[in-house]
Amino acid sequence: MDYPIWDIAMGGGVLMGIVAITHVIVSHFAIGGGLVIAVTETLSVKRNDPEMRNLAKRSSLVLILFSTVFGAISGVGIWVVAGLISPAAISALIRNFVWGWAIEWVFFIVEIVAALVYFATWNKISKRAHVMVIWIYFIAAYLSLVIINGIVTFMLTPGKWLQTGAFWDGFFNPTYFPSLVLRTGIVILMAVAFMVWPARKAADEARLKLNRYLGKWAVVGALISYAGYRWWEAALPDTVQSLFLGKGALLDGLAMTRHEVMWSVAVFLVLSIIFLLLMPKMAKVIPLLLITIAAFSFFGTYERLREGTRKPFIIHDYMFSNGVLVQEVGELNEKGMLSKARWAARVPATDSVEMGRQVFDAQCRSCHTIDGYLSIRELAPEDPDMTYSILYALYDQGEMFTALEPGEAVAMGDLNYPFMPPFVGTEEEMEALVDFIASLTTPEGEAAAKGGV
Amino acid sequence: MGNELIPALDAFPIPGPTWLFHVLLVFTFFLHMLFMNLTLGGTILAALGQLFSGGKADDFRAVMAMRLMGINTFGISLTITTGIAPLLFVQVLYQQYFYTATIMIAWTWLMSLVFLMVGYYAAYLYKFKGTPTKGSGGTAWLWISAIMFFLIAMVHVAVNLIHSQPDQWGALADNPMAILGDAAFWPRLFHFVLAGLGFSGVVVAWWAARQAGKGIEVELNTKIARYGWKWALWTTLLQIADGFLLVMVLPRPVLLGFMRGGMATMLPFTVGIAFALGLLVMLAKVSNPVEKFSTVNGTLIGMIVTIAVMSITRHQIRAIYLEPVTSQFRLETAPQWGNFVLFAVLLVAGLYTVYYMVKEVFESRAAGQDAA
Repeated sequence: MDYPIWDIAMGGGVLMGIVAITHVIVSHFAIGGGLVIAVTETLSVKRNDPEMRNLAKRSSLVLILFSTVFGAISGVGIWVVAGLISPAAISALIRNFVWGWAIEWVFFIVEIVAALVYFATWNKISKRAHVMVIWIYFIAAYLSLVIINGIVTFMLTPGKWLQTGAFWDGFFNPTYFPSLVLRTGIVILMAVAFMVWPARKAADEARLKLNRYLGKWAVVGALISYAGYRWWEAALPDTVQSLFLGKGALLDGLAMTRHEVMWSVAVFLVLSIIFLLLMPKMAKVIPLLLITIAAFSFFGTYERLREGTRKPFIIHDYMFSNGVLVQEVGELNEKGMLSKARWAARVPATDSVEMGRQVFDAQCRSCHTIDGYLSIRELAPEDPDMTYSILYALYDQGEMFTALEPGEAVAMGDLNYPFMPPFVGTEEEMEALVDFIASLTTPEGEAAAKGGV
Repeated sequence: MGNELIPALDAFPIPGPTWLFHVLLVFTFFLHMLFMNLTLGGTILAALGQLFSGGKADDFRAVMAMRLMGINTFGISLTITTGIAPLLFVQVLYQQYFYTATIMIAWTWLMSLVFLMVGYYAAYLYKFKGTPTKGSGGTAWLWISAIMFFLIAMVHVAVNLIHSQPDQWGALADNPMAILGDAAFWPRLFHFVLAGLGFSGVVVAWWAARQAGKGIEVELNTKIARYGWKWALWTTLLQIADGFLLVMVLPRPVLLGFMRGGMATMLPFTVGIAFALGLLVMLAKVSNPVEKFSTVNGTLIGMIVTIAVMSITRHQIRAIYLEPVTSQFRLETAPQWGNFVLFAVLLVAGLYTVYYMVKEVFESRAAGQDAA
């Protein structure tokens, strides 16, 4: 809010979604791949099975090319994008969890060194030492998930942290363990989705065996994922559940996304049973592609659902998605939003429309653009009175949040716009925002804006 | 100057004393620099070596390029890994300045990750597909990689200069690319590039001299060692001139603040300059590194110490740049000592695991056990 505003037509949220989803797919494969490769190589040594060993070796190339390069860089990318679109949020997270991230960094060092050593020492060191390296890799990679899961789940369900501000209260929050189980299932799903491809390169008979082997992993992964997902859903507070669960779900889009989550895991399970376990001969490119897509779809839609259910917050009950703190709503209503928006109000406004643009930049720009993603020109009503009434309803929502006692949460069903942060600011700022929006949506407004009136 | 563009401090206190984060920031930045020097300087040196080899696979410069990039496909990964920690700690200490600077050049900052990915994959393509022994195209991959890393260095220097000069934000807000015209930009950029080239040259010479000392490909390794050494000598000479220029172009208040810092600032700085001059003497004294391996060893250690000391100086200069504004904000702290101890214990355990793993691997290789 008081940082410069990055004007990005595709919307910061979309960019974050692209970076985050591609990263988590690769990073979860990096963990699950580590597990499945470790077990595969261990079995190949015990059974003296060259085909299993070849699968492990071929998969390790995929692992190193994806995880140590794309995974590592896109992981930094999430930080970078978060810093660009929500600097206040990433700063709050870092201040709370810097030691958690520092610990994750330690695991990351071990993970990366182990991955590089593992890949570089095929056929060069003893089998025992080589297997040891991949197990070290997997343990370090999984421990990094154990850490980051605490920070990711904190954003949706900060739990007792809201009262205590204590690290461990935020870390072991209500959805920590359900999410850890769910992600444990997901890492196996990702491993199967990637490893069915190197398995295709095996000779005919061996390929059938490897497909059945990966099929067993697929079933285990899908069942753990499903159990973890249902537990995660059940652990969510009522206010969050009401957004997407049940017949009267408040957000249709999220309810639909939830269906996609369930269907994706079901399709993955069925396809894996048919094409990997029962008819591995039929596991050609198309069925394998469908299995991979179903796995990615499950994970991608779950991530979208998790992000969506956090609306209108970026850290639930603490910071709204535009960086406004719940606790500062009252103060900003008195002093004005622009009193804090140093960059948006860098040049003093000369008229109401200009002031409205500054309020828009400071308060709405984190989600809306003028003409791009979630375009305000398209979404806002043409009638300024209607805009005013919406903003007033959003202002009232802010009053509801400020009236809360510690430990209380607003019931989302009581909100007219449960996915929107409240309007924060003075009456003058609200009127200015109405004028600015009118300058976009009505011909008269546009003409007035151009004429500088 | 006014502070009207400096965002408010985060409402949440810092989970440890500020000195601890300063120490961690400098230390992890130093680690990052070791690998970054190889990534940036090593790749440029490899590209130049490849170019001068005329595409002949058996030319000693082409062999040097292969060796450097053989290390670099691992080194780049460690550059990224070690870069994460200073990126974390700088956000703890300089939240208001760092985020503002990165948002001011948002696309450029974001693109640095694209440059990194392209540079990294190009390095792998050179290693797997492009080396002269495996066909043509090596030079192109190497140059792509080198140019990408050079661009990343430019972006980082820009962010650093912007975030440490809030008094310039108003002027830069509408044209942040004007930072390229900052008097310190180019000397600072070349300070990093020259350090990278010099460090990589010494590493190349050290490795080749070591091999030659063991009697392995003596003629080839001697040529490589001399070549790397020559690069180290000339770039260190230029570095001293560039370092002098860099001091001269510092804003006067920063220069004065630095001089008035007493032992705290002048000691590391003086040690750094003394080491740089000492390195130059050592580099000039030796014409054939193979015959003077102990000097080569000493030069490598001297360079590492210089990088460590200069990391402290760099951090102090940033603090002096920002002093007029940071002195107006009070960073609240609420130490989480238990978590810090957990981090420290796990760091030791993690590094021991890495040591144990590498030791086991080397012993297994040396023992000639049944190959995996």
